[in-house]
Amino acid sequence: MTTNACDPKATLTRRQFLFLSGAALVTLATPKFLQGVPGAEALSLQQAGYPRTKVGQLSALKAGQPVAFQYPFDHPNCANFIYKLGVPAAGGIGPAQDVVAFNSLCPHQGGPLSGRLNTEHQVLGPCPLHLSTFDLTRHGMVISGHATEGLPQIVLELSGDDIYATGVMGLVYGFHNNLAEPNG
Amino acid sequence: MTQYTPQDKVPLPPADAKVFTTACDYCIVACGYKAYVWPEGTEGGPKANENALGLNFPTGVLGGWVSPNQHNIVSVDGRPHHAVVVPDFQSTVVNKGGNHSIRGGTLALKCYNANGPTKDRLQYPQIRVNGKLTPVDWDTALEVMAAVSKHVLEKYGESAWAMKTYSYEFWENTYAITKLAFGAIGTPAFSVHDKPSMGSDTGGVDDAGIITFSASYQDWAEADVLFISGTDPFETKTIVFTSWIMGGPKLIYALPRRTAGVAYAEANGGLFLQVTPGTDTLLHLAINRIILENGWEDKEFVEKWIASSWDVDAGMGRGPRNTPWQWRTTWGQFSADYESYKKWLLEYEPAQLENAAKVTGVPTEKIRQAAEMLTGAGSSRPKASFAFEKGNYWSNNYLNTASFAAMGLLCGAGNRPGQVISRMGGHQRGWMGGPGYPMDKSPEKLPGRRKIQLDLDRWTAAGNVRFVWVVGTTWTAAMAASQELANSFRKLTVENPNQIKSTNKQDIINALIARVDSGGMVVVDSDIYPVEPINTEFADIVLPAAAWGEHDATRANGERRLRLYSKFYDPPGEAKPDWWAIAKFAKKMGFSGWDWENDNDVFEEAARFSRGGVLDYYALVWYARNNGLRGHEVLRELGTQGIQTPIRWVNGKMEGTARLHDSTLQLDSPQGPTVHAKWLTHFDSHSGKALLLKSPWELWSDFYERVTPDPAKGEFWLSTGRINEIWQSAFDDVRKPYIKQRWPDTWVEIHPDDAAQYGIESGDVVRMFSDDIQVQTGGWVRVKGYKFTDLVKAGHIQSGKGEAIAVAIVSEDVRPGALFTNFLHPASPANSLVHRVPDPFANVHRFKLGKAQIEKIGESPYKKSLDEMTFKPRTVTFTG
Repeated sequence: MTTNACDPKATLTRRQFLFLSGAALVTLATPKFLQGVPGAEALSLQQAGYPRTKVGQLSALKAGQPVAFQYPFDHPNCANFIYKLGVPAAGGIGPAQDVVAFNSLCPHQGGPLSGRLNTEHQVLGPCPLHLSTFDLTRHGMVISGHATEGLPQIVLELSGDDIYATGVMGLVYGFHNNLAEPNG
Repeated sequence: MTQYTPQDKVPLPPADAKVFTTACDYCIVACGYKAYVWPEGTEGGPKANENALGLNFPTGVLGGWVSPNQHNIVSVDGRPHHAVVVPDFQSTVVNKGGNHSIRGGTLALKCYNANGPTKDRLQYPQIRVNGKLTPVDWDTALEVMAAVSKHVLEKYGESAWAMKTYSYEFWENTYAITKLAFGAIGTPAFSVHDKPSMGSDTGGVDDAGIITFSASYQDWAEADVLFISGTDPFETKTIVFTSWIMGGPKLIYALPRRTAGVAYAEANGGLFLQVTPGTDTLLHLAINRIILENGWEDKEFVEKWIASSWDVDAGMGRGPRNTPWQWRTTWGQFSADYESYKKWLLEYEPAQLENAAKVTGVPTEKIRQAAEMLTGAGSSRPKASFAFEKGNYWSNNYLNTASFAAMGLLCGAGNRPGQVISRMGGHQRGWMGGPGYPMDKSPEKLPGRRKIQLDLDRWTAAGNVRFVWVVGTTWTAAMAASQELANSFRKLTVENPNQIKSTNKQDIINALIARVDSGGMVVVDSDIYPVEPINTEFADIVLPAAAWGEHDATRANGERRLRLYSKFYDPPGEAKPDWWAIAKFAKKMGFSGWDWENDNDVFEEAARFSRGGVLDYYALVWYARNNGLRGHEVLRELGTQGIQTPIRWVNGKMEGTARLHDSTLQLDSPQGPTVHAKWLTHFDSHSGKALLLKSPWELWSDFYERVTPDPAKGEFWLSTGRINEIWQSAFDDVRKPYIKQRWPDTWVEIHPDDAAQYGIESGDVVRMFSDDIQVQTGGWVRVKGYKFTDLVKAGHIQSGKGEAIAVAIVSEDVRPGALFTNFLHPASPANSLVHRVPDPFANVHRFKLGKAQIEKIGESPYKKSLDEMTFKPRTVTFTG
């Protein structure tokens, strides 16, 4: 069910493409006003089943000041942050490809990572529970520690100045299925 | 290699899934795990009553969870099943509450899955015909082995028939291995995966009267201050650190490299002693000297528990100084009572603070601070404990361990809760020896009527081995001067003109006997994967082994906790537990007593060999037999909690032993099958007291000076070690796409100043090389001298070459002038840059003291891509 027309010139990194193509994707029709705009193909990627939710504005982001948002559900485990890192990052959006978003629960045992951004190294952590650290420039990959998956990365899309969340790469801590309605 | 794709869902085990208890397969800690297994086609639901975990999803912090990398598809009775392997959330021991490392946390991914990255598991016996490994049946493979073995034993004797094996892959297997090698065959040509001989790992600590795994994990938690030498438990014994040490004692680390654990220690009132590789002895001696100069030693403990001069000489000179090294070899150079130790040390110039600071590279004020932290400096005495591992005993084996033990003893540690001296461990305690090593047959002898366990590497390189069975180890890559050793193997095997050219059994036997008679060597390798080069290049016969989860098996962890590792799925193809192959081979040899039918039969037979030892589980089997039960089933009932050995029979039930040398342990009269060993309540020496051992630097300084890198020649120290996310040779990790994304290649850390000098940046590919690797040869019977200088004079030292390739990580965490790399990456044998001159008293290698020059040879794909690997520092701390 993977259908995709990834332009090599698109703003997604190869890795993100690999990530995305591994999950179920749908290709949305590129809106008319974006046709012919460089990079517009990337905007059409959305994971199947995930909502498309406006989570922030590019112009409002400041380096070192993460912006909180809930996605895909309004549930304590679904607490995420948008980071403007100041250096290019895998899956990054914006002109500098430096805007990324991640879930904020440590995928080891659910420790809270919010507020533990090291801006010098673009590292999140160490987790207060057991000291895991994560590289925000490389898909939330574990740098040192215990998590059995990387920090779930929220797939972002830019539409004008608006930032949309369109999917989650990786399973949110505590969930068995990102799209299963909690307490549903 | 399969690309890693993060998943956003995971199947849950339905309420009726089968549940098996086990423990992690990897590091010494052996966290408790549960495997949930159920047929494909069904799944559990998110409500607690809809899944076998009993969890309501979504779960909360510390509430238990299943990550996608904890799931796999396995075969059970030939049918595909889901398997979810998760830490035991209910555990109250070891990994309390389901804590886990990244290694154990991804155990499910190691399982054999015919459609996954583990599909290259060895499945059938194979024989190399015309250079190509060709499947054969078990009988053919074992009959060829038996025919060649009989010929070798008859014509060349036991010492030409060798085994090189793991020491850790379950008691059932190691018992079978020793029963064959030492009992049925009687060969002295034997060593385990991490050393060239069967010598002691930690001689100086042993000789002090301390059994090396004496502590419980609770002891680390109860200490006020913990001195950690030559290891970072965060990296390599993760759950001991995160479940027991974090939030507990203040930490003093003695390491050449700053690690994540060190960063934590420094941020939490601890101390980092960044030693120059190989100088720990002088660091310990300098601390001990400060303690004695100031009278900070634990006088009450010393009075009661340190051997007096009478104790040292007790028993016609065969008292506690009759230790393996002391009595017949070194003639009392180490022996001391408290007064003579103090006198020696206060007069011993190398231990003087300024000198020690200069040699070790640790500032004087930090050495003094360590002595103060360990003793309280005259005010209230803290509970000090002492933990050590390979950075300590794989550099200057005897002197480091002897001086380390003395440091602990002066601080009153060794026999009380929270005040212990213990190894932290590497692999799990999987060695259950049956018959003992036949020392009388060892061809190797030190001066002074002192036989020593044979150095198998040197013996093999000299062409003295004609048949060798390698069980579950890379051998060449894992040993020192590995490139030179591999060259020796090549000459003795694939470059010998006598190669198998036909699949006819008699032709095969004839070709291999012709090999043997022409001075060559026949190699059999039992393993689970095609391991380079021992199996892919050198082995004539390859045997497929069943592994963790594929048969019922037992072993203990670093606090002697024994558990059953349950079988929960089918081994691939015709793979069998190693004990099975050994028993079948023994029968082909015509030996009797090899009629085991299952894992439990071996476990029960081995129990009597455990009696009186640290791992004594005889009481468990005694209880089982008296009640018509099977030993394994009794252990299964104990689940992930298991029981700490030695197991004693007390008031009608089994009782575990928390710590050894426990002066607080109250013992009643022995009951049932139990006999109380002296070392349960006292030290392991003739008098039951501990020994202070002198550790004269001169016994080592000639070797140390010879191998110290010369910066003018562009030489660096090359230290090797483990890193948290990778286990051992990465044999499983390279087949776990998630881990492979993090560590797609091996790496070397280099200080920014050194990197700048050589134009090296993070992500560059570098070559480490040397043509000055010291290699000891020949010299089996030595009449005089055991120092390096004596070996050089006698012509027993040559220079060899080594080389390894790695991806550079520029890091301020390593010392200038020192490199740090993974110790056993299959593509990059770092041990080729380690000298093959074993410690003279123990015949173990000095793996941590390699030497290399370095040059940039290119750029890795990870330098610019953001897809794989990361070069971020591992020592980031949070100061907000």
